[in-house]
Amino acid sequence: MSKQVEETQAYKDKQNLQWVGKPVKRIDGSEKVTGEQKYKTDYNYPNMVWGKVLRAKYPFAKIKSIDTTKAEAHPDVVCVLTHKDIPGFNGFGIVTPDQPVLCENVVRCTGDAVALVGAETLEAAESALELIEVDYEVLDPVTDAEKAMVQGAPKLHPDGNIHSHVSIRNGDIDKGFEEADYIFENTFYSPRQMHAFIETEGGWGMLKPDGSLMIQCPAQYGHRDKLQIARALALNPERIHVYSSPNGGGFGGKDEITVQIHLALLAHNISGRPVKIHLSREESVLAGIKRHPFKVTVKTGATKDGSLVANKVCAIADTGAYASLGGAVTALAIEHASGPYKIPNVDMEGFCVYTNNGIAGAFRGFGVNQVCTGIETHIDMLAEKTGLDPVEIRKKNAYRQGDVSSLGHVVKSSVGTIETLEKAEQCDLWKNRDLYKSQVSEPWKKRGVAIATSFHGVGMGLGSPDYGAATMELLEDGRFKVGVAIEEIGTGNGTVYAQVAAECLKCSLDHIIVVQGDTTKTLDSGTISASRSTYTGGRAIATAAPNMINLLSETAAEILDVPKSEIELANNKLMVAGDESQFVTYKQICEILLDKRKSTRVEGHFYLPKEKEELRNSGGAPHHLYGYMTHVVMVEVDTLTGQTDVLKVVAIPDAGKVLNPQGLEGQSEGGAVMGIGYTLYEDVLIEDGMHKTKNFTDYIIPTIRETPEIVTIPVESNEETGPFGAKGIAEVVMIPIIPAIMAAIHDATGARINRLPATPERIYHAMQATKKPSLISR
Amino acid sequence: MKDIHFKVNGKNVSVNCAPTKTLLDVLRDEFDLTGSKECCGKGECGSCTVLLDGVSVCSCLVLIGQIHDVSVITVEGIGLTSNMDVVQQAFVDEGATQCGYCTPGLIVSSRSFLDGINHVPTDDEVKTALGGNLCRCTGYTKIMKAVQTAARKQLTMEETTN
Repeated sequence: MSKQVEETQAYKDKQNLQWVGKPVKRIDGSEKVTGEQKYKTDYNYPNMVWGKVLRAKYPFAKIKSIDTTKAEAHPDVVCVLTHKDIPGFNGFGIVTPDQPVLCENVVRCTGDAVALVGAETLEAAESALELIEVDYEVLDPVTDAEKAMVQGAPKLHPDGNIHSHVSIRNGDIDKGFEEADYIFENTFYSPRQMHAFIETEGGWGMLKPDGSLMIQCPAQYGHRDKLQIARALALNPERIHVYSSPNGGGFGGKDEITVQIHLALLAHNISGRPVKIHLSREESVLAGIKRHPFKVTVKTGATKDGSLVANKVCAIADTGAYASLGGAVTALAIEHASGPYKIPNVDMEGFCVYTNNGIAGAFRGFGVNQVCTGIETHIDMLAEKTGLDPVEIRKKNAYRQGDVSSLGHVVKSSVGTIETLEKAEQCDLWKNRDLYKSQVSEPWKKRGVAIATSFHGVGMGLGSPDYGAATMELLEDGRFKVGVAIEEIGTGNGTVYAQVAAECLKCSLDHIIVVQGDTTKTLDSGTISASRSTYTGGRAIATAAPNMINLLSETAAEILDVPKSEIELANNKLMVAGDESQFVTYKQICEILLDKRKSTRVEGHFYLPKEKEELRNSGGAPHHLYGYMTHVVMVEVDTLTGQTDVLKVVAIPDAGKVLNPQGLEGQSEGGAVMGIGYTLYEDVLIEDGMHKTKNFTDYIIPTIRETPEIVTIPVESNEETGPFGAKGIAEVVMIPIIPAIMAAIHDATGARINRLPATPERIYHAMQATKKPSLISR
Repeated sequence: MKDIHFKVNGKNVSVNCAPTKTLLDVLRDEFDLTGSKECCGKGECGSCTVLLDGVSVCSCLVLIGQIHDVSVITVEGIGLTSNMDVVQQAFVDEGATQCGYCTPGLIVSSRSFLDGINHVPTDDEVKTALGGNLCRCTGYTKIMKAVQTAARKQLTMEETTN
């Protein structure tokens, strides 16, 4: 049997799936609930050096001099390092390495690192920071992205303040607006959301006696961190080993370098002792990346029958002091700014702009959260204007598989939008919305129910490498060690990897051990980001599995002395087809292979499918794969105060085939609550470049008390290219809920909010202004 | 520096350290009980929750000098993988843990809550009991279910033993 046939046979044979599609419990659950699971920030050693980072005193200033003499004289200080101590390139950044490891001439935000201290105790390290004398020439900070774009604005970087400009044009926008019976134009502002992972950035490192460098640190792409560390320290990346799993949450916030290079620098200056850095929450708030605040102006044209005919979008993203993934975030935003629809005429552009407002980067949703509100709000306004049903308008304009999207490309992969909308219409909350809305908890409160739909690309898009790789090794005890570098970040991808491996090998789940996030034991398989880990890792394992089956079958045939074609996989063994008495165990096979000095390890490699042509100037559009999603929500607004609660959420994702329903629901519920936080509560406030928000005392994320009833109803479109038909889920789950809540507030009160978060004050003022015809902004 | 005697997970222990060190730091640094986590250091998130003489508190807000002769129970004292408590098992069964960093604190708060009731709690009761524990991954829904499942199991076990 050819490999290809063997591989596809497992997919086709979906009726008899043993593990895939089942609510398998997490393989790492017990360690997590008992506290036995060790995170990288949990390790301490008796001879450990404590590292601390001196951050910039001002958001924008020239460094005239740095004097470390007094700090070095501190009795418990082991080393003090500045830019002078960087052996290689003083910069990092996933796409554009414009962020200094340690600033030399200028600081551009208060999260900037200026010096490092290594000391015998944390207290000594902290007091030594105060002994470092930095002479600054303070500059006026650039705090507004639009002002930063104009000529004459102080330049943060040599090439100016516009980091990137992307655009997508299709059809004839002027003609589109001429055809339109209705035109809606509004501007939307979005917050600087914080990832608020519960484990702050940190970890430890050590230079080993053999000269290799070990970094142990929660991170979202250990293999790439290796390269960024190597560049800064002028090291051979092969001599750097990164252990980056598990993460105590990430959501994109640990995608960029956090403490890795600082640990590496310290480790190189303390004679082989281990060194630890663990950011306090305050330092994490200051130095960690955030979601890009956007200003998005959207103009949408539609005809009387509910057809969307034109959409013009201009998005300005505040990336703060450094690029990180800002260019990619802006590009993805533009790719998604016209929704999962087929609008024939679009003109969308985005600018990614430097300011002195902290640093923005990757965050779950990656720009789509900020732009989904425009098109969805305008569809609701169109429904209101025409009297058409808001769901019907969406169905009418949604593209199906094989249709041409707003971007002008034929969508070849699976599309579930219409099915998710149909499920939404049939759900209890939508069907009985009038009844639910009448059941207010207090007479002065009002309820609203609304629906919104959106989508999100899976994987990296064009122009970026995107591949998966898995190893599978038969161990002496008869188990299989499955290695996928993609880290465990909380989503339970390791459990899904075990399910896919067990399914392909037809063995029980306890025969699978999963290794993740260890560059010494796994092949580079890309990031844990871009909703890609189930799809990519799963597919890589499914590609390695036939190689393992081939190895097992060959050896079994030899042992049983029958032709290989007569061997078949049975539960936890291989047997002669039709004769259960003739079988061999995995353990026996391993013994024979080891006796013969043969390798028991196979690999599987996989490139994510891509579109052939990139849309000019789009920065990577279109994606080949997208996940789709519809949310229905009910809110209750206190008309006296504006206080708003989300009471019910129906989440209807199309993530392709669901490999683990419990994991999928977990993503859906977590995404919904994070979306509620984004829409109603969360914003990191920065004034004149200084953080007003410091900790969870003044950054409010939803607690269990703000958690509504959440029902998840997956639509399982079959994605032919995915492992057992799966796509991705992790980001789209927090997207349509944002415009859905905004629309539900409108349904309840008549007020439209265009600046998030929709705090009680903003809702209250918007309610006061409902008599005015246009959207208000305050 | 001061000698402080107290109990951790049923065992008598003592430490000699500055009385201003937090209980959380002592548990993590001196006893390698790293299940309790520091996330905010301000008593906002509940990741460091332990029981002091049966009462759940944030161990980042307690100084070691305050707990002389006190009995401390950490998540490790509630159960380990070899002898998991019903509430821990329920968290696994219901899928109530994701990244797991907040989970130990939630387990301690849930255990403390269940110790004080003998019925299956309503959603509102669970919400009040766990309102001080932040979780960024799960969206809390499965946590709510897990606590109710654990309560149900606990009641069945009590009925069988009675």
